[in-house]
Amino acid sequence: MQISLFTVLILMVLTAVGFLVGRRRAYAVSSGHASRLHSLPSYYGYYIALWTGVPAFILLAIYGMFGNDAVNALAGAQMHRAGEPVHAQFEQALSDDEDIARLEAELATLENRRIYAREAIERDSELVPAAGEYPAQSPAERQQALSSEINRLAAEREARAEVLAGQVEAQTDDALARAGFVYSRLSDERRELMINDARAIAFGEGVASRETPEINALASAMRPFHEVLRSSMALAALALAIGGLAYARSRISSSFRARNRVEGAISVLLLLASVIAIATTIGIVLSLLFESVRFFSAINWRIDEFLLGTQWSPQIAIREGQVGQTGAFGAVPLFAGTALITVIAMLVAVPVGLFAAIYLSEYASTGVRGWAKPVLEILAGIPTVVYGFFALLTVGPLLRDALLLLGYENAVTQSALAAGLVMGVMIIPFVSSLADDVINAVPQSLRDGAYAMGATKSETVRQVIFPAALPGIVGAVLLAVSRAVGETMIVVMAAGQGANLTANPLESVTTITVQIVMLLTGDQEFDSPKTLSAFALGLVLFVLTLILNVIALRVVQRYREKYD
Amino acid sequence: MTDPQNTAAPAATVYHDQPSANPIKVETRSVSVRYGDTQALHDVSIRIPDRGVTAFIGPSGCGKSTFLRCINRMNDTIDSARVSGSVLIDGEEVNSRAVDPVVLRARVGMVFQKPNPFPKSIYDNVAYGPRIHGLATKREDLDAIVEASLRKAGLWAEVEGRLGMPGTALSGGQQQRLVIARAIAVNPEVILMDEPCSALDPIATARIEELIDELRENYCLIIVTHSMAQAARVSQMTAFFHLGHLVEYGPTEDMFTNPHDARTQDYITGRFG
Amino acid sequence: MTDRAPSSDIRKAIETRLARRHRAERRFQFYGMAAIALAVLFLVVLLSSIIVQALPAFTQHTLTLPVRVEAELADPQDDRSEESLRAGSYSRMLQVALQDQFPSVTGRSELRALFGLYSSVNSAKLLNQVVENPDIIGETIEFSMPISDDADLYLKGLTTDERFVDRNEPLTLSGAEGEVTLTASDPVFSAFIEEVNDTLRARIQTVSDRAATAQARADRAETEDARQAAAAGAERARREADQLEERLQAREALSLSPEMASLLVRLGGGVVQITQLEPGGRVARGEVVIAPERDGVYQDWTEWRIETPAAGRRIGDVQIVFARALDDRGLVENGLNLILFTNADSREPELAGVRGALIGSVLTMIITMLMAVPIGVGTAIYLEEFAPRNRLSEIIEVNINNLAAVPSIVFGLLGLAVFINTFGMPRSAPLVGGFVLALMTLPTVIISSRAALKAVPPSIREAALGVGASRMQAVFGHVLPMAMPGILTGSIIGLAQALGETAPLLMIGMVAFIADPPTMGVAGFTEPATVMPVQIFLWSSGAERAFEAKTAAAILILLALMVLFNAAAIYLRSRFERRW
Repeated sequence: MQISLFTVLILMVLTAVGFLVGRRRAYAVSSGHASRLHSLPSYYGYYIALWTGVPAFILLAIYGMFGNDAVNALAGAQMHRAGEPVHAQFEQALSDDEDIARLEAELATLENRRIYAREAIERDSELVPAAGEYPAQSPAERQQALSSEINRLAAEREARAEVLAGQVEAQTDDALARAGFVYSRLSDERRELMINDARAIAFGEGVASRETPEINALASAMRPFHEVLRSSMALAALALAIGGLAYARSRISSSFRARNRVEGAISVLLLLASVIAIATTIGIVLSLLFESVRFFSAINWRIDEFLLGTQWSPQIAIREGQVGQTGAFGAVPLFAGTALITVIAMLVAVPVGLFAAIYLSEYASTGVRGWAKPVLEILAGIPTVVYGFFALLTVGPLLRDALLLLGYENAVTQSALAAGLVMGVMIIPFVSSLADDVINAVPQSLRDGAYAMGATKSETVRQVIFPAALPGIVGAVLLAVSRAVGETMIVVMAAGQGANLTANPLESVTTITVQIVMLLTGDQEFDSPKTLSAFALGLVLFVLTLILNVIALRVVQRYREKYD
Repeated sequence: MTDPQNTAAPAATVYHDQPSANPIKVETRSVSVRYGDTQALHDVSIRIPDRGVTAFIGPSGCGKSTFLRCINRMNDTIDSARVSGSVLIDGEEVNSRAVDPVVLRARVGMVFQKPNPFPKSIYDNVAYGPRIHGLATKREDLDAIVEASLRKAGLWAEVEGRLGMPGTALSGGQQQRLVIARAIAVNPEVILMDEPCSALDPIATARIEELIDELRENYCLIIVTHSMAQAARVSQMTAFFHLGHLVEYGPTEDMFTNPHDARTQDYITGRFG
Repeated sequence: MTDRAPSSDIRKAIETRLARRHRAERRFQFYGMAAIALAVLFLVVLLSSIIVQALPAFTQHTLTLPVRVEAELADPQDDRSEESLRAGSYSRMLQVALQDQFPSVTGRSELRALFGLYSSVNSAKLLNQVVENPDIIGETIEFSMPISDDADLYLKGLTTDERFVDRNEPLTLSGAEGEVTLTASDPVFSAFIEEVNDTLRARIQTVSDRAATAQARADRAETEDARQAAAAGAERARREADQLEERLQAREALSLSPEMASLLVRLGGGVVQITQLEPGGRVARGEVVIAPERDGVYQDWTEWRIETPAAGRRIGDVQIVFARALDDRGLVENGLNLILFTNADSREPELAGVRGALIGSVLTMIITMLMAVPIGVGTAIYLEEFAPRNRLSEIIEVNINNLAAVPSIVFGLLGLAVFINTFGMPRSAPLVGGFVLALMTLPTVIISSRAALKAVPPSIREAALGVGASRMQAVFGHVLPMAMPGILTGSIIGLAQALGETAPLLMIGMVAFIADPPTMGVAGFTEPATVMPVQIFLWSSGAERAFEAKTAAAILILLALMVLFNAAAIYLRSRFERRW
């Protein structure tokens, strides 16, 4: 923790003091006649307390969010400065070194030849056979040969530079200077790791992955900055609090509208709370979009391939050294699997849920309703992971055994059918409670009208209530579909993982949500297309469910308005 | 005004002499209705003649609608309602187990306070009864029934050629006449109307009243109304209900000019209600 | 005068259709009842299957051994320093203690089976006991530890059926150790041989059936490839059947393979595992597992059959013998499995418990509650009481309704991208989990709070405003207290939902194996943790069969927690509900 509990406590005490001061002040300015005040005395207390606490806590919050970064940056800068002479020394060594000079000259020549070859490819012309060293080659072959030669030389140059860097390092005594030099030569990710290790050593945040003198030096460089920043922030917060208290106190007079100020502050707070809902949506959209864009650029903007391709094997992408090999990201098998399971779930949930709702609202006696509704609510309250367990260990094996008994030899435990059936059960209460609402919203006068014509109950339901409730029921079914599409745990546990493009419910399939889970659990590098593809799938899922929800909510809304 | 709650054991119903022009269509003998613990209707006995309009009047909550719903057993649809006593149509007990409410309701049509056309076309609304009861086997027969019913309800001229339009798109008064057409499409013997005009404007009300007047040639009409003027205009017989009791029953003219019971007098002269 | 159709005709028309209509009515009603019955059936099957699966996990067989804490093993440096004590060889001590129970056992594989009866992790517990109380060095103490999951399942009778038949035909034992021969004058083993042959015959029948179906498929096959494949399958099956048949017909000694039921003989306090039976059922060859007191003739002995073939269970015959022997000697006790509640996760099923996940859930729920309830209620108050009817309020409203239907996994993606990758918060931490679940629960809290605020009659507001209170005072002083029960109920239901949520937490890495429970305090919020539903998910994919019961037990614990939450909601609702 970079904010000490002590500072927070002092600030809280000050805030409380501010409240008391405000109240006393209010009594004082009104010379004991509280009724002469514009607002109740405690409002003056709240007013001062707000001025005391809020700015100081905001400062602390800002420090809490950016304090670490600031310490990192300051210590980093110090390290960088210390490392500069070493770096200069290294540059000098590089330019003095004969091997490097030779390698660079060769590299330049080869690079020129490669450019020439590339131009030849672009012009689609033959190459003039180079003097001796290259046999007659096509431009493409030549370019490839040159590229590998360049890579080889570059690696050699790199190795030589490494040796020189080692020599320079060995000559430097100052660990921090070495740290700055080492840091400057690291990739971004390794830099982050080094900073994290140093923080771990300096402040005990987690466990350092390794400990070297350089990292220790960086850690010791961080500590003073941390201490200074921390104490100065604590002081600044206290100063702000006291200043706020004094300022607010000076403003209090008997005509001061303390209540309006306090209430204004509260309503700003309330508004902020409600903006969080929007911020969440924006956060979802932006993060999904941002990462999806990174994914699409990694697969060269072949969005069509992503949406229409039938081959899904993202695993290939993580094999190292396969530049240009991005794996197969055709998501159609996922969409098909999702659709298949959703259809199975709906085949269970819609009829059962609808009939349950109709029975409960039209037929059931109060007694039956009294226990049947809680049963449905319990079904709705059971966590999805429990349904997943049930599907995996009870329904799946049961189905497989039944199918084996019927002579279907390829039966598997993890099948679309098992997952779909159990998901259907899970959605039954969702459909039935929505449908129940909708059916109950059908005015009694329509029922009376039908009964008065001599219609039986089922005729009334089928011919009058159902058509009247149809839009609402459609909305409910759409919401249920959206729920099924986004459901995760049941399919993760019971549907299998094979990206089969099949319409056979007895095979195992995979869904959008399953793949998101597969891609993001276990080892992952955040920048590989494999990981990023999860966000693209998430975006598809979000857009799909959003469309379903918007339509469904519209339909239901219209329906409600019609009968309200 | 005296507090009616305190009057011990209300006096028995006062019956005026009935001109015996038409035979008795509906007769009830000490019908009582309870909703759970509250008794809504106490021992109502009445004899309603065929081919005429009988009006039930009384302050709101007096049980007149409840009584009306006993005649076609609509109270069956309310779980808490318990009906006792007997209701006879053409001398036949309605509350007996042998009588199927489905058949009964085909014989006794009902029109409600608020027009309640089904969310279907005008044609399907009117054809609803004949269809569920299987009264027409051929499309032409059904067309004929729909047209005849709409004509009788005085709506034909307004909706001819637009029969595919949803019934809910009509105006309030038209909707109420559509509902009446729907009720008479199964050729009921009795038509019950529960404050059929209370949701309508005066012009539509006048139109419905005209219709009621025409219909009484052929049907036994029983109409619950809030408005004494309406009762006076359309009915031949009037029954006055108060706090679940039938207070007084007789020919309309008689009732309005010469009420026997003090409560009837008070109500008619506007002292309460 | 009348144009009314004869009413008797209409009645007749109606009555002819009546029976059919009533049948349709009953059918329809039946569908409705069937739907309800189906829902109830699902619930009953779901709950009862989980309860049945969970029951074994609530008890655990504990092995209590007299362990001699040898000084040279416990204290290699012989100075009683903690450092020295910690370097002690405690697992050896346990091995010695167990070996003492079976002095005759020396074979490597037998010893491996014997030491497989407990997990070596238990030696850490012994270590702690010694470090805490070095005085016990040199003494013999009673040390208890959970027996291994396989032995536990076996002792619970979940692994196999067994039969013990007491016999009194004289049986001669050729030796007291190693390979031995058992000879009887009566055909005492022929019943067992017959049973093995019966199962063999049944196998032959199934294989022949399979051959027949494959042959039929080959005859019907449409393509040459399919025909060949099916024919090859048929051929294979036929050959297998022939081989089995041959074995059945051969009148030679029956070797008991792992695919057959196991036969053991108990006599004179020892156990012999039978490996071969001579035809005629008079002579059996076998290996001594636990040495009997002597060789020679035994009058009373017990035939011990283990019905499930060794190939079909994780625990071998030898280990079964040891487990049974320890149980018979009263060293194993079946008791309430407290480990389930006191331990965190472990790779060893018998040592795995839900404590870590429970603490993780509590920490996560605290964050969720602290975030979702104030923000949710604040939003509800704003929208219901203060929001001007403008575009912003409308957007917020539509937005909240849509947010309520966003799949939970998307919130996990949000948490991963924003909290972990952008803000650099720690992975797998209850803090981030709590944030994610709070955002997910927010719509539920907002919607139910708004409903509660809406249910407060406007007259309350008007009355407060009427006596000169500001809008804020009316809301916070009068409306909010009256809406509080509804708000609390909604919030608790939302939290119960969050408690059971799994998918978004997988995204932020709360799915890791975590052997140490997080600390129950402020520091715990940023330590790696897991939560109950994720623990269930993790265990459900555990390879050991014992994890199945553990998973079901964890589910019951989670369900109990949720019932507690909901009971609290119902209590609040009934306690404070006001009617106006």
